[in-house]
Amino acid sequence: MELLTLFFVLLLSLGIGLLAQWLPMRQQSRPPWSQRAPFLGGGTPDSHAWSRYHIRYYPMTLLLIAFEMEMMFMYPWAVVFVEKGMKAMMEMGMFLAILSVGIVYAWREGVFKWQ
Amino acid sequence: MNWLRKLASHRRVPVFPVLGMQGDEALRHLALSPDIELVDSPRHASVLLVAGEIPADRFESLRRVHDQLPSSFTTLWFRCEPSPHLESVTHIDDLDALPAALVTAYRELMEGRRESSPRILPDKPPNPWEGEGDFGQGGEGMMGGVPYGRPMAMNMEDDIRDGLTLDSLTFRLGPFFFAFPPGMAAEITLQGDLVQTWKTQLVAYPQSLDSVFFIARERPVPIAELELARARHHLHRLYRGLHLAGLESASLSALRLAQNLSTTSTLEGLRRYLSRSGFFRLAAIKGGVLGPDQARKLGGPAARAAGLDEDLRSGDAGYRRLGFSPVCQTGGDTCARWRQVLAEIDQSLQLARQAERDDVSTSEVDRIETPRGPWAEQRPEDASALLDEILPGQEWGDALATIASLDVAAVVESPLGTQTAGESPITNPLDKGVAGLSG
Repeated sequence: MELLTLFFVLLLSLGIGLLAQWLPMRQQSRPPWSQRAPFLGGGTPDSHAWSRYHIRYYPMTLLLIAFEMEMMFMYPWAVVFVEKGMKAMMEMGMFLAILSVGIVYAWREGVFKWQ
Repeated sequence: MNWLRKLASHRRVPVFPVLGMQGDEALRHLALSPDIELVDSPRHASVLLVAGEIPADRFESLRRVHDQLPSSFTTLWFRCEPSPHLESVTHIDDLDALPAALVTAYRELMEGRRESSPRILPDKPPNPWEGEGDFGQGGEGMMGGVPYGRPMAMNMEDDIRDGLTLDSLTFRLGPFFFAFPPGMAAEITLQGDLVQTWKTQLVAYPQSLDSVFFIARERPVPIAELELARARHHLHRLYRGLHLAGLESASLSALRLAQNLSTTSTLEGLRRYLSRSGFFRLAAIKGGVLGPDQARKLGGPAARAAGLDEDLRSGDAGYRRLGFSPVCQTGGDTCARWRQVLAEIDQSLQLARQAERDDVSTSEVDRIETPRGPWAEQRPEDASALLDEILPGQEWGDALATIASLDVAAVVESPLGTQTAGESPITNPLDKGVAGLSG
């Protein structure tokens, strides 16, 4: 019963929240195209303003994640290793094998070279 | 009426100024008005003020800016005729009545007694949609389609950055961009925040100097008047530079000082404020170095900031009597130019004091040093082409700071006869003749 009451309270407050946002917005249409153009003091752009760039730290991030994942799982694994025995050893071996693919890839990308 | 609109109608009026010929006079007047808030983008404005005559080649840009104000907004034209499609807007010629007219227009708009200005441009995308997906992201591979008919910025060939290659973005900026001299427009290619190429497309409007400089070309004038007008011109430039640097309070101090300038004025307060605010330590003002040839081409304070000891006042007997010798800097960069401007204001005030005490007038008439540069056989001409040489390679902030520190606009051939409150009381008989031309 209490849960049902809480559910109705949640529903009501959500409804009021959405209504409060919708009421002032209901008569507004989207701004016209001319207003949505980038402000260039009266000038015009040649290309779209989405600018891309090379993330130089990308391979380094990849490597960090690879090693971090390894450590995250190895700590709890070390706790249950004695209890589970060989089964845990094999599971960790599979996990490390998959992870090492990422490390090998990063190696190929030259992440271990200090430039 | 909505209580929110009622409340909004009593705030400071957000005005976006579009400057036409000689429109900066209105800008300075409004900057000191307590009821007006000048904003740098139409997005923040409710009133568009077109101040001064707009040349026909800038109408298209004006239409674009006009339509960028968020609804509802109103337009006011000051000392100019509204361009085609905008004939029904408010028009005013009296500078003193301008702030009140803006406030009235804004209140009427907020209270629903005035209709919002109509949009001029058609409500359709300026470029047809040519991409795939919501954001044009579904194009060919990494290229990302052609969103809004404009291709994605592409990787550039030569890397002028520090190894981080960015896409180059080409666009045209101006002529109504607040950080440019009024009327100037340029085609710019940016690589990230670095200027790759700069091509000035429209030069700045010729600037009008105080009428005393034009009279000095006709007959000897009191040096005190001439030097006060020079200091005022530099203070007006300082106002724009400090506004760009974000030092709003200092910029208004410079403007107030210019408005109430007399021989008893001193620059000490402003100078101290600038030192304490760290203006001279800004990273953006370390660039923009002019070579000797470039400095000579520009002339005036910019040349002296680069170490060129050239000033036509040195050849004037009146100035020699006052013991005048030009002040110079050595750096030639943006920082040196602002230091030079401050030093020249100081020097002008000192000369004005001495000249007033000893009642000294100029002796040369056909060779005068204007605050923009020397005016001997030829008046100072437009030097916007210099920007194409010195801006590439600079970061965007440095480039804007460099532009603000350079006085590139030409000087008009004859005075325009419009006087602001606080400006030189000297009247020129020529004024009446050309007042009609100035509109």
